[in-house]
Amino acid sequence: MKKLYSNKLVILSLVLPGLLLFVFAILAPICLSVYYGFTDYSGMGSYSVTGFENYRELMHDTAFWTSLRNSLFLAIGFICIQHPLAIVVAAVLDKLGGRGENFFRCVYFIPNVISVAVIAYLWKFIYNPDFGLLNNIIKAFGGKGDVNWFSTDTAIWAVLIVLIWHGFGWGMLIYYTGIKNIDQVLYEAAAIDGADQKTTFFRITLPLMKPVIQVNVTMAVISALKQMETVYLLTNGGPGNSTQFAANYLYQQAFKAFRYGYGNAIGVVFIVICLAATVILNKVFEDRDERKVRRLSGRREEKAA
Amino acid sequence: MKKRLLAALLTGVMVVTMAAGCSSNNKESGGNSAGGSDTVTLKVFSNLPDRKTGQGLVEQMIIDEYMKENENVTIEVEALDEEAYKTKFKAYSMEGMPDVVSIWGQPAFLDEVVDAGVLAELNQEDYTDYKFIEGSLNGFTYDDKLYGLPRNTDVACIYYNQKMFEDNKWEIPKDYNELLSLAEKINAKGVIPMAMDGGDGWPMAIYLTDILFQLTGTESADIISKAISEGDFTDENLVKATELLKESADAKLFQKGYDSQDYGTAMNLFTNGQAAMFYTGSWEASMALNEDIPEEVRENIRVFTMPAVDGGKAAATDITAWNGGGYGVSAKSEVKDEAVKFLNYMYQPDKLSKYGWENGVGMSAQDQSEYMTGEETDLMKQIVDIVNHATSVSGTPINDCGPSVFKTSIESEIQSVSNGSTSVQDFLDTIGSACK
Repeated sequence: MKKLYSNKLVILSLVLPGLLLFVFAILAPICLSVYYGFTDYSGMGSYSVTGFENYRELMHDTAFWTSLRNSLFLAIGFICIQHPLAIVVAAVLDKLGGRGENFFRCVYFIPNVISVAVIAYLWKFIYNPDFGLLNNIIKAFGGKGDVNWFSTDTAIWAVLIVLIWHGFGWGMLIYYTGIKNIDQVLYEAAAIDGADQKTTFFRITLPLMKPVIQVNVTMAVISALKQMETVYLLTNGGPGNSTQFAANYLYQQAFKAFRYGYGNAIGVVFIVICLAATVILNKVFEDRDERKVRRLSGRREEKAA
Repeated sequence: MKKRLLAALLTGVMVVTMAAGCSSNNKESGGNSAGGSDTVTLKVFSNLPDRKTGQGLVEQMIIDEYMKENENVTIEVEALDEEAYKTKFKAYSMEGMPDVVSIWGQPAFLDEVVDAGVLAELNQEDYTDYKFIEGSLNGFTYDDKLYGLPRNTDVACIYYNQKMFEDNKWEIPKDYNELLSLAEKINAKGVIPMAMDGGDGWPMAIYLTDILFQLTGTESADIISKAISEGDFTDENLVKATELLKESADAKLFQKGYDSQDYGTAMNLFTNGQAAMFYTGSWEASMALNEDIPEEVRENIRVFTMPAVDGGKAAATDITAWNGGGYGVSAKSEVKDEAVKFLNYMYQPDKLSKYGWENGVGMSAQDQSEYMTGEETDLMKQIVDIVNHATSVSGTPINDCGPSVFKTSIESEIQSVSNGSTSVQDFLDTIGSACK
């Protein structure tokens, strides 16, 4: 068997399908996107190469910058609201045990199982200023209940709440799995040493969850940048461009405004931003780990000396 | 030996997998001839996904009849709603368009499509006996060549609930100021004055066209055309029309959150009796026949057109109307003759026009007078009356007059200018630069 795996033909046959898939489904479209980004292609008929014209225009396109700002806003929302909540809920669920644990795990994951289209329309009705659930609740408590949740000033918050709520279950489930993989012996040792719940969470759970947090946060940031379908169905970027997100704006330009070339230029900038975000996040997490390792080994060396 | 056999097997599997992935389904590729040489498969790509009511039903009825009369022809329909339709239309234009397609006779759509060579030229002389209304083919003509046929005559309408008006002693406004004071009275009763689909942008763009037409009369088309060609929207009438739109939103003429609500939500507000008026087009005349709408609303739906604007040049009988949607044939269709034959069959005066009339889907682009039975709904009679007494029509709404970049821009920015988050000047500057 060992000899079989050293046969280059076998190695090639095993690697080639994946390689071809990567080349034709990812690399080639990216290369084509880069190429079309330099053209004025409308998506139909002929086109001409316009050099960096699309990129020059992009630099002055306020709608694009608004959409990018909203995407980053969402990423911050994910990191600062969704994920801390998801870790805490996962830790509490882990301690809950029994039927309650299974029940709440399912309940929190339900929004992820429901189709995005259903979610979007559900929230559209919840937010509706004339007959929506939210305004009716306000009325029930004696308020006026005539809030326009999708007004230019508040629409972005309304959209963020839906997106954070929708992705919460997924983040929580990954954290929950991570917590379950932590060796129980550590918790027992901590208990013997007299550590309370809070100390256990901050000193054992959180540090050991770092690899999971790293993966989860990176995924969250990328998904915030890629956000399209919920926003498209919920507000389609409106009113005006107040809830415009980068991926939705790309779609609008490429397919509605017949500006395929410009859409591709947005796509290229988008890929660069996504890659940069991934690299930065990896650096942030990696550096801390490395720093810690370096510090520890330094201390050990001092002690040895 | 065993090792080589296993290696050969793995390589074989890989080749088969790749071949399967790369192969195309030859049986499906043409789709135009299946079986015998006489058998023809026509692919119809439509923007009417509802095949049970309204225009979709009419289209399906004709398709079924055509297949019945031509047993060798099979018609496959793919129907998507408008936005999804336009996206897929573009995808099809790259890899092969279905044979008969829905199109729009407006520069925002047709110019790019014709330039890309997607549509086949039609023989204008074929249609001399088809009773098309004078000028209705203009939007589908590009460089004096005909590329499609119009399906409807669309009229911008303000539908209202007659019973609600009578019960509250509200009068149909004679001018725009009366409309705004009516809005105040209706709001005071806790009812929404006018349901507006502001989320999509295009109904408000039609509304803007409507106001502009009332302000400038027959000059409006020239004003729009000049503004778009020069990318300059500083014309005082355009400024005034936009200010009036904003003033209307400020006066709470539209429902709260109108700028983010979609067509269905706006329509439901009206059909559920929560709104006294609904701004849309004559294509919704079938509301009077729709049994899903509560009877007390359904039977009381009436219509009026945009009231006169102070100092406006339009007469009370001048209306905002245009010929928008229609059909064309793919230039690369392998069964072009059959596709044109089917298209011509659809447009025989006793087909699309007659069935459309009978199903209350609004005004056709062909003369329908001979199909009037006198038993049409009051709403239909009113719309016919409005069209028959029209002294002039506006033509294509402003959002469809320019390139699609302009269309996307105005439909997005109009929400911001109406709700006050963008100034009138900034709005006009932005849509102007989209034309350059």
